[in-house]
This record gives sequence, structure tokens and C-alpha cells, in this order.
Amino acid sequence: MIYLDSAATSLLKPVTVEQAMRRAMRTMASPGRGGHAPAMLAAETVLNCRLAAAELFHVPEPEQVVFTMNATHALNIAVHSLVSEGTRVLISGFEHNSVTRALRAHGAEIRIAGRKLFDREDTLADFRRQIPDVDLVVCTHVSNVFGYILPIEQIAELCREHGTALVVDASQSAGVLPIDMQALGAAFIAMPGHKGLFGPQGTGLLLCGVPGSPLMHGGSGSESLLQSMPEYLPDRLEAGTHNVCGIAGLLAGLEYVREKGTEEILLHERRLLQKMRAELEDCPLQLYTGEEREQSGVLSLRCSAMDCELVAQRLAERGVCVRSGLHCAPTAHESAGTLDTGTVRLSFSPFLDPEQAGRAAAALREIAAAAS
Amino acid sequence: MTQYLIMCRSLTHAQRSAQVLERHGITAVVTKAPQGLSDRGCAYAVSLRRRQAEAVELLKEMNMLAGKVFEQKSGGEYREVRV
Repeated sequence: MIYLDSAATSLLKPVTVEQAMRRAMRTMASPGRGGHAPAMLAAETVLNCRLAAAELFHVPEPEQVVFTMNATHALNIAVHSLVSEGTRVLISGFEHNSVTRALRAHGAEIRIAGRKLFDREDTLADFRRQIPDVDLVVCTHVSNVFGYILPIEQIAELCREHGTALVVDASQSAGVLPIDMQALGAAFIAMPGHKGLFGPQGTGLLLCGVPGSPLMHGGSGSESLLQSMPEYLPDRLEAGTHNVCGIAGLLAGLEYVREKGTEEILLHERRLLQKMRAELEDCPLQLYTGEEREQSGVLSLRCSAMDCELVAQRLAERGVCVRSGLHCAPTAHESAGTLDTGTVRLSFSPFLDPEQAGRAAAALREIAAAAS
Repeated sequence: MTQYLIMCRSLTHAQRSAQVLERHGITAVVTKAPQGLSDRGCAYAVSLRRRQAEAVELLKEMNMLAGKVFEQKSGGEYREVRV
């Protein structure tokens, strides 16, 4: 099997992730509920995961690291905290439904900036033009469909200049690109644990620059007499029992990323991307690519002679795992002009080698040639 | 022997307080606080047997002192310590 769907979930993970989860399952109870050894061991693991995330993403205090089920859950908390009926929200042209659906559900007035794929200057100019007239900016760091790296540092700077709150969707960048919470000055940064951070499914993080409003209410193990969630983080946003096994796995994933470094991970993924581009150059496929600094290890493509779902199916028959369709991001496809057809998305990881990428390219060439 | 409890606002806060104290050579253990010591229900505290004044000063300096401090005498009863 050649796994090219890490933008959905990183199936291939460091061996330490599974080991940590097995250990957690056997030895750890609920943190913040009891004072006995298995509960305190769980609490230690949870704190260590907060500390590791705080260090990797430059979050001032580990209390500002909140555990969620996934990035969608984290984004929903952020939107719930900052958006109400009529809030004017500026988003990029490459947002996921986890942003757009949540905003619509809260009655936001949505405006879109930057619809040109791989055009950072145009994106920035459009944000610069529109930020003065909005209450909030929600922006993805990297497009989940095209791997387009948006100029998030400059967008954050514009937000700071205008005193506009910023929410960053780091679903595709966490573990791949440097993210500095303090430098960005974001109100929230949301990310999954199960993609570039190599944790299991069911894990996510919300980095909080502001206290936020709880989306769920319930037990926190603290201030139990009060009938409202505590005022302080992380308890305020973490109702119910933690996913301790998942958090233990996420901690192992974070340690892997810290040891390897995002720079090396990105370099490896870009090499694979370049190899794939080179091998598919003379193939009857449309590749969506930008300059090297504009694209992470995600490649979308289209075969004019074959439906993208069929291409993915043919690849799956050859043991190559990709994702096709709209990738839960119709806004991004609309921006790129691929809303009617969708694309086939290949996404790379540090656990994929060039030889595998070459075999996947050969399979694609064969499928495209047969179709045309 | 007298035991001292420094009340914390959350488990995470208690863990971090204990870490700070340990880094300064003060043995501190995270523990669930007795119900009678909190007017808001379940709470966590940092428990120590000695160097309590130093511990309180250290947490104050780091803006980490968030709750009351109690001492427990050998008889079991708790008394608030002015800090």
C-alpha cells in the first residue's frame, strides 16, 4: 500500500504513538477526577502534552492549550466564542466547511478575500483592503485541497494593526510549518492531532489567546458546586472526561515532530512533491502547483478524460490511497475553478519514500494514458 | 508533623505550581483538597510539609498563588494561614 492521504489523517505514525496509547489504556484513569495513582499518572501525561504543544507553538502558558476532538471541534469553539448574528467575518478563499458551516450556523456575515490560487500577493492585497471593515478574520494557514500556503504572518500583522481578532485554521500546517502563537497574536489557533502531529483520530488542539466560551458544559473536576463552567483555562473549555489514550498518543507524536523538526518534515514532503511533479510532467493530467515557497506537501490534480472519483478508485485498486472530490472545501474549489469536477488530492508524509512516490506516479500515468 | 496545603484553581494549576516548587528544591505533591476547604466544590491543592513560607513567596513572585493556604495540625483540623 502507498498511503497518500495524510492531509486527511496520517495513517503512518511513529511507533511510539501506539506504544504510548497502549500504556495509557493499561495504566491511566481520568485526570482531574480522582487523587489516586492512575488518575495522577493520566494528569501528568495530559500536562506533558500541554507543555509539549505550548513549546512547539510558542504558547505562553500550557493552560492556553485546550484539548478537543479534532480541528473542527476546536474551530467551532473559536467561532462560538467570537461570532454572533451579524458579526462581519473575513475568510480566505480557501476555507474548509469546518469554518464556513460554523460561521453560517452562528449568523455571521461572511466576506471572502483572496481567491487566486498560489497568489500570495493578491491574497494579501485583498485582506489588506477588507480587514478595516470586518470584526473578525478566520483564515486557514494552508489549503487542505491545494497545499497553498497563505501569507498568515502578514495577515496576522494586518489584524494586529487594525485591532481585529484572528482565528487561524492550522489543520494542514501544524507539524509541517513553524507556528508561533505569540508572534501571530491570534485569538485562537485550531489544529487536529491526527494529521501532521501524528496523534490518533479523536484528538485536536485549540490554542487560546482569549478565554473563549464553552461549547459543551459538564464536569471539569473543578468548582463542582458552581452550575457554570469555570472562568479559567483549560477547565473552561474542557467539559467531560479527556481522551487520555489519544492525548498520550498525541504527546508521542508531538515529541516526534519536535525531534525531527518541521523544517526537515517540510523539506522531505516538498522533495516528494517535486518528484511527483517531474514524473507527471508529460502526462495528460492537470496539476495544481505553485512556487516552492507557496506549496506544502499536498498536490491536487485532474484528469480531463476521467472523473476524479474514478481516478481515485483506479488508484485504490493499485494500492494507492488518495482522496478525491471536494475535500469538504467547496469554497476552495470555487476559488480554483474546480467546483464542478473536484480534484484528486495526493498528500505526502515523512513516512513515505521517493520510491513509493515514483510507483504512485507510474500508476497515475498508466490510468491517465488509458483514459485518454 | 504539620502539613500545608496551597489551594489551586485547577488541576493544571496545581501541577504547574508543584513543578515550580520542585524545580526550587521544595518537595510538593498535587492532591485533591478536602471539601471543607473550598467554597466552590472539588479543588486541587499542593501539599508540602516544610519550607511553606518560601513556597508561598516563590508562587507569589511568579503570579501563581491563586488560593488560600492552610495548615493541618496532627489532630487533623485545618487552619487558614495568613499570607
